[in-house]
Amino acid sequence: MEQQIDPKQLAPIVEDLCRLAQVLYDRSQDWPALNRNSRRILASVEMLKINLGRDSD
Amino acid sequence: MNYDVPFWNPYLETLPREKLDELRLKKFRRIFRWAYERSKFHRNLYQQAGIQPDDIRSLEDVAKVPKVEKSMMRDIQRKDPFPYGDALCVPLDEVTEFRQTSGTTGQPVYQADTWQDWEWWSECWATLLWAQGYRPSDRVFLPFGYNIFVAFWAGHYACEKIGCETVPGGVLDTKARILKMQEIKATAMMCTPTYVLGMADTATNKLGLNPASDLGIRRITCAGEPGALIPATKKRMEQAWGAKVFDHVGATEIGAWGFECADQPGALHVNEAMFLAQIEDMETGEPITGPGKPGKLVITALDRIAQPCIRFDSKDIVEFSDDKCSCGRTYRLMPGGVIGRADDITKVKGVLLAPSAIEDVVRSIPGLGDEYEVVVEKRGDVDHILLKVELSEGAEIPQKEMEARLSTELRVRTNLGYEIQIHSYGTLPRFEVKARRFKDLRKHGVS
Repeated sequence: MEQQIDPKQLAPIVEDLCRLAQVLYDRSQDWPALNRNSRRILASVEMLKINLGRDSD
Repeated sequence: MNYDVPFWNPYLETLPREKLDELRLKKFRRIFRWAYERSKFHRNLYQQAGIQPDDIRSLEDVAKVPKVEKSMMRDIQRKDPFPYGDALCVPLDEVTEFRQTSGTTGQPVYQADTWQDWEWWSECWATLLWAQGYRPSDRVFLPFGYNIFVAFWAGHYACEKIGCETVPGGVLDTKARILKMQEIKATAMMCTPTYVLGMADTATNKLGLNPASDLGIRRITCAGEPGALIPATKKRMEQAWGAKVFDHVGATEIGAWGFECADQPGALHVNEAMFLAQIEDMETGEPITGPGKPGKLVITALDRIAQPCIRFDSKDIVEFSDDKCSCGRTYRLMPGGVIGRADDITKVKGVLLAPSAIEDVVRSIPGLGDEYEVVVEKRGDVDHILLKVELSEGAEIPQKEMEARLSTELRVRTNLGYEIQIHSYGTLPRFEVKARRFKDLRKHGVS
């Protein structure tokens, strides 16, 4: 099945994820588990941005 | 990030006991219901015992839940869905990781994990590695033949999660691994105690290196066998490498449930936010909650979902302590770690014998090498123990003198007599992963 997905409509959702993960990361300097797991989420969010062709905008 | 924080998870690792109990009960109820609703095996087991999820109202109620033994898992895995059987609680499409037990005690058991489970594995390992001093500034070498044995895979992923530089020492031979560790200036490594000693032996006697001064390893995490909490073995490893050596304990079916912290209290912390550890009397099966009485560990992994581990009969012999650790964790301690295995602790001439006691004696005697082998058999109607040991490289000790010393120290420690064979250096078998040094040729098991 072919779906029509507009990457531009999904991009703000990814930006929200990125912003929330960044808040967790910034606030967890003394909590290694939160800090390192949010850092990994940020890396995965970067993959979402690549998936959406962010750099081709 | 602040590297000086001593806890991977400062919140969970310092929870007051009553809060830990609340958390463990809540998690047990959740995983029990999860398995009951999704797995035919678990549902049948619990229905036969007349117990349902709503019946679990306290941690005491958990003891009513039937145990699962490894032999049951082997039987399950002859059923669908292939290859895991009906203990599986997720669709096969969600399984991302296949591992299997080492097969030390029989037919290997297959273990399914989802990606969530795999994150959980690395979280458990990250907890223990951080507790042992691993930080993002470490360069960790894994001298391990990456395959279906789970332990060091999880260690590898945990190192990545922590932010360590992670070096897979996969298919290299022992010499090449040592030289690579030297070349890249590795600061830490993880392997079995047997291999820690074997690598030191190879470095010293085949490469002319002194691991303590020529290699920069500062900490070593052991898994797969006891040893890092057997005092004489720990001392040998720490002296050979000039490093701190830490124990960790886990199993493929369970997860990484216990660890020694950087304060080295001679005990393991149970990771109680992730596991519910219960001890049962080996003969009566009655719960043991107080300190100082050894029994069999029955354990639940509270967050593992694909192939849940609920009240698993680990066969590990452990005991609780009520001592508080100087590290500040509230997680309960088990002195001496895994003291033995119900499979291995056996009566010889009416006396309970734990192979770890023999190891502690052998490795406390200067001039003896690291390898040994114990064979118990019947000669006529009488139990007989043969202990084979090796002299260390270049040792020149009169055989009679060594036999007499070993015999005396073993008699004091284990209350048993031994036939002792002393072999020259390099003649007993070497092991890389799990050593098999104890052979009971009589009918096996605890009698």
